[in-house]
Amino acid sequence: MCRVVTALLVALAVLHQDFWWWDSRAVVLGFLPVGLAWHALVSLAAGLLWYLATLYCWPSILTVDPLSGLDRTTEQPETGEVNG
Amino acid sequence: MTTLVIMLGYMGLLLVLGLITQRLLRVTAGDYFLASRGIGPFMLLMSLFGTTMTAFALIGSTGETFERGIGVYGLMASWSGIVHSACFFLIGARVWWYGKRYGYLTQIAFFRERYQSDLLGLLLFVLVSGFVLIYILMGVIGAGRVLNILTQEAFPMSDQITRVPFRGDVGRVTIPPQWRDRIQLDAEAGELVLRGSLGARRRGELMRWSDQPEWHAAVDELFRRAPNGGLPYQWGTGLVCLVVLFYVFTGGMRATAWANTLQTVFFMLAGVVTFVVIMRGLGGAEEATSRVLATPHAAARMAREGLIGRLEFTTYCFIPLSVAMFPHLFQHWLTARRAETFKLPVVAHPICIMITWLPCVLIGMWAAAVLPESTPRNAVLPAMIFRFATPVLAGVLGAGILAAIMSSMDSQFLCLSSMFSNDIVGHYIRKERISDRTRVYLGRLFVTLLVLAAWLIGLWAPAPVFPLGVWCFTGFAALFPLAAAAIYWPRSNKYGAIACVLTVAALWLYWLDDALAAARAGHAFLIAGMMPVTAVLAAAAVALVVVSLLTPAPPRELVQRFFSPELATPPRD
Repeated sequence: MCRVVTALLVALAVLHQDFWWWDSRAVVLGFLPVGLAWHALVSLAAGLLWYLATLYCWPSILTVDPLSGLDRTTEQPETGEVNG
Repeated sequence: MTTLVIMLGYMGLLLVLGLITQRLLRVTAGDYFLASRGIGPFMLLMSLFGTTMTAFALIGSTGETFERGIGVYGLMASWSGIVHSACFFLIGARVWWYGKRYGYLTQIAFFRERYQSDLLGLLLFVLVSGFVLIYILMGVIGAGRVLNILTQEAFPMSDQITRVPFRGDVGRVTIPPQWRDRIQLDAEAGELVLRGSLGARRRGELMRWSDQPEWHAAVDELFRRAPNGGLPYQWGTGLVCLVVLFYVFTGGMRATAWANTLQTVFFMLAGVVTFVVIMRGLGGAEEATSRVLATPHAAARMAREGLIGRLEFTTYCFIPLSVAMFPHLFQHWLTARRAETFKLPVVAHPICIMITWLPCVLIGMWAAAVLPESTPRNAVLPAMIFRFATPVLAGVLGAGILAAIMSSMDSQFLCLSSMFSNDIVGHYIRKERISDRTRVYLGRLFVTLLVLAAWLIGLWAPAPVFPLGVWCFTGFAALFPLAAAAIYWPRSNKYGAIACVLTVAALWLYWLDDALAAARAGHAFLIAGMMPVTAVLAAAAVALVVVSLLTPAPPRELVQRFFSPELATPPRD
């Protein structure tokens, strides 16, 4: 699944090059230039794909506690953070 | 004056925040510099986002769109959404891991130990401090502009005389009686003469006094040259610097993280309110866009043809790589409580960028049909707020812009202070010869001197924020191969790392004059149609790889320490 997410991120970078709307002044939703609307969608898609990356591509070393060497995925969550 | 009072009140709140967090501060370097590595996901998101969004994002993006159209969003915002999160995910979380394991407080300490080279640490310190100085300069210029424009006519000047040429028919200009003691036409000299200051909101009134094109040109020139009666630029820049220095020095990283969180939430909300106010002032979003379409020079801003090159658009993807080497962001990474803390910033950062940039780019596009074409880029957003908001609202919105600027400056000040305290004073002067307190004071003195330098440069040469920022980011982004190799390439060594840093420094300085000249001329500096970062980054990567391969491999223990950490000896205390 991580490879699929990586491929989708590469595809998003390619789709970022929207040369097909380079000189278009078309408007969507009555006020938004189509080139701007497309890139707003790219931003939303980036958020979604990075969410999938944190689910499927999280490196195993980051699950190990740097000080104790224990795998945190088997630990109970700690309390007392500055915020949740 | 109301606007100024509100903005000063906001700065007063930040001073109180600095004093409160000083009481919470534990007297350890780890707490002062890294908030005891206890920052959770939401505060980390706000700190990272607030730190990356500065005058460049708000004032720069609006002004740049005003000149170059909506493609500015694709250049910076949507590329940043993809690339920034990649840097947090691939570089930031791993740096945090090493930082927590080996106790690093700064970026310099990480690279110095990773490559076992004091020389590399020293070179990086000089180069990165220089880049941060420019970054601070962007904030200083932006803050001065905002305070000056939004407080227009709060400090009226009575004695200053401004003269501009007027070649039209004096008899066809009707100056109302209440203006005649301040504005006169000198028929003999062919000049329009103003006594005192003149706020931008008077422009429409003056334009109506005659229908001659010569009169309109003279009025435009008058508004360009005459003082606007706002808080003087040098006072505004100095005030913002002092406020940020105060709360950073009193509260350290804890104050910076809290201030970043509060300021980021505040400027995002203020941004949305600004957008709504300006949109309503223009008669709604559809009406505002229709006005742009109906104005030939403004309509071009709704596309990219003739305003942005295709190669420039593509190679802009390298600019956001700069976040991998921002020393102030590096320090924020080290504050995270655990690796999972990074997940929220990785996911939410592109969305937060969109929430901030989309309204700014739309305002810049709409402004093209409202403001005179000659409006300076840095003045577009404040001018739109000044035109459409009430004084109270303008104060709140102005405070929002200052929040965005200050939420970056505070991290930069703290990181420079900690780098000087830990990587220069702490590293080169033996502990018994200097107390911790003196070390911290020397760090503060260093930052104060750098801020003073930024303030003086800002007074001497207030360049447009956007091109200045792009050149600063070019330097940071070109150092990206160093960060990537340090984490992912065990064969890289100190010789390759030093070659990489020297290559970046040499090329960045070589093209500095061209970049500044282009900024002053108001156009982008490109090499063969591409962003210069492409060439600098490629050269830096080649230098790192070739020199590493031509020189001895790093010691086995060093490679094991960073690439098989679970097998390495237990971490030191």
